[in-house]
Amino acid sequence: MALQIIVCVKSVVVKPPKRNKVDRSAGSIDLNPFDKPAIELAVRLKAQFGGSITALTMGPKSAETALYDAMSMGADRGILLCDPALAGSDTLATSLALSAALKKINDFDLLLFGVRTSDSDTGQVGPQVAELMQLPFVSGLESIEPDGQGFKLIRLIDGFVEEFKAMLPVAMSVHPSAVVPRDSSLSGIEESFEVKPIELIKADELGLDPGVLGEAGSPTRVAGMKKIPKEKKCEFIDGSDTDIAAKLLKVITETGVIS
Amino acid sequence: MIDKLLDGKYHAIRKSVRDFCEREVKPVAAEIDKEASFPWEIVEKMAKLNYFGIQTPKELGGSGMDTLGYTIVVEEIARAAGGLGLCVTVHNSVAVYPIMAFGNDEQKKKFVPPLAKGEKIGAFCLTEPNAGSDASGIEATAISDGDHYIVNANKVFVTNGGVADTCLFFVRTDPDAGRRGISVLIVERGTPGFVAGELEDMSGMRCNQVSSLRLYDCKVPKENLLGREGMGLLIGLNALDVGRMGIAAQAVGIAQAAFEEATKYSMQRKQFNTPIANHQAIQMMLADMATQVEAARALVQRAASMRDKGLPFSKEAAMAKLFASETSSRVADMAVQVHGGYGYSKSYPVERYYRDARVTRIYEGTAEIHRIVIAKNVLDEME
Ligand SMILES: Cc1cc2nc3c(=O)[nH]c(=O)nc-3n(C[C@H](O)[C@H](O)[C@H](O)COP(=O)(O)OP(=O)(O)OC[C@H]3O[C@@H](n4cnc5c(N)ncnc54)[C@H](O)[C@@H]3O)c2cc1C
Repeated sequence: MALQIIVCVKSVVVKPPKRNKVDRSAGSIDLNPFDKPAIELAVRLKAQFGGSITALTMGPKSAETALYDAMSMGADRGILLCDPALAGSDTLATSLALSAALKKINDFDLLLFGVRTSDSDTGQVGPQVAELMQLPFVSGLESIEPDGQGFKLIRLIDGFVEEFKAMLPVAMSVHPSAVVPRDSSLSGIEESFEVKPIELIKADELGLDPGVLGEAGSPTRVAGMKKIPKEKKCEFIDGSDTDIAAKLLKVITETGVIS
Repeated sequence: MIDKLLDGKYHAIRKSVRDFCEREVKPVAAEIDKEASFPWEIVEKMAKLNYFGIQTPKELGGSGMDTLGYTIVVEEIARAAGGLGLCVTVHNSVAVYPIMAFGNDEQKKKFVPPLAKGEKIGAFCLTEPNAGSDASGIEATAISDGDHYIVNANKVFVTNGGVADTCLFFVRTDPDAGRRGISVLIVERGTPGFVAGELEDMSGMRCNQVSSLRLYDCKVPKENLLGREGMGLLIGLNALDVGRMGIAAQAVGIAQAAFEEATKYSMQRKQFNTPIANHQAIQMMLADMATQVEAARALVQRAASMRDKGLPFSKEAAMAKLFASETSSRVADMAVQVHGGYGYSKSYPVERYYRDARVTRIYEGTAEIHRIVIAKNVLDEME
């Protein structure tokens, strides 16, 4: 049973904007760390069942680096959905564009996402895409194994193990604790840049009304962003050992560290 | 080239190796220096990531990367632990590379894959007690005996000596032929008569198991002769041309680490009610360090790119090695100065960088020998 797997990934910004300008140069962006377990899981599933892995991202040209990273880890090819018309997309417009792109790409069995992104933290894109594509969706996947014609999907939630059975195709977001992502080997990097292909998809290929894409198609907008000043206070506790212990206990219960 | 360095493949290589070294190597760097211990666990992980077959073609178990990529990998490993950078550069460039370049098909198939996969570690055994800068003065002998040589050798200061399995021995196959009487034999640890000496108690690069290696009436099959008899010095010099770029990259990595530590420290340490980074004297040092490290890196990457383009690069590699090694010492020295007394204490890493940097001016050709090589090139070009 060869599996056709698509992993949706994002190039995230890892440095805070300077003077309200987002810096997307190579040193300031990275593959979303929450996508790495999804790629790792895909690579392991491919090793087990055969098939192929496609990494898909929507973003500016620089988002290509996320595809190269995914291919260095083992994805077979990358697809960059990139167009000025897509700039300013919120999660809904992003999900619409991604689901339209997914319909253009080959059929797939598994559609993987990270649970969230380190620079936006909504966790909405995975479930929205699944909904738009009418696919079953399991969030925070812990493990997956074949089960008859389909797959058994396990997720952990508040001290319970939840088990789902799904027929293919199925979409899921992968919990960060599911697998430890591998480091890219040098030959992985070499292949990623020298051998594996990246395909470009433009907005007009999606067959969607421009009004639903980009900023125009985004019901939400980031109105502003400011840094939260971190206040660090250092307090010395004196007294006898018993006094110190009692005061310390008071502080850590009051701050809610323990109850 | 510059684009690819800023983003693209070379940026990805640097980032990937740096992330690995920050997580796996840096936390133990002080300890493996203190204990002079070889970090096998880390080395096994590095092997899986192809760090022991950087430029070896894929078919033979490596990653098939170019020289520019190679210098970036070595720089990043050395930034975390100089002695581990040494292990990797010597293994790749003066042990694996000569077999690739001068070995016949059987030798390549037999010796290269286990080396490239890091299952075995390589060493380069040229220096002897009476032959350092003057490699033609070696006394090790290999006497022909049917389909074998009987080899007697006393090699000193062998990088990786304590852990290496596959060693290139420079020996005299013709005692009367002077420089042309030297040959290279591949000798495997475990061959009867192969004896590893005590580890050298080095000032720096302490996690590397530098030792002497001796061969006592050791029977080495003739099929282990690299190239032909008499090609030894040619093979050695050719390997060192490549090796020098690795040593230069290592020097840059140590300098980079020293510069970063000095910068961080200067922002934290307060004297006269202000971080010392606000004192102009400290800023001058930071500026000099930053500039010199970039200049050294640019020379290394230029030499590497010339080799990748198939151009002659011997002079450029020598210049890069000379400049980067002297830069490394100077920058590490400034980093100690920025730290004041704490820089002289083992509690801070710059003390280690200072020791590690020093030897890059000595091995794989001293600074003096490099100046001789460069001067000869420069004068030849003018003729
Ligand atoms: C940590 C470490 C690892 C090493 N690893 C290896 C290894 O893996 N394999 C290996 O074979 N060797 C190795 N070496 C040996 C190293 O390459 C030699 O130490 C180096 O080549 C210098 O030789 P020497 O120590 O005999 O010094 P010498 O050659 O005795 O030099 C002493 C001084 O005289 C100067 N000098 C010599 N000849 C001239 C000249 N013609 N003109 C001007 N000045 C001159 C030198 O520059 C130096 O300043 C290692 C050394 C160290 C310290």
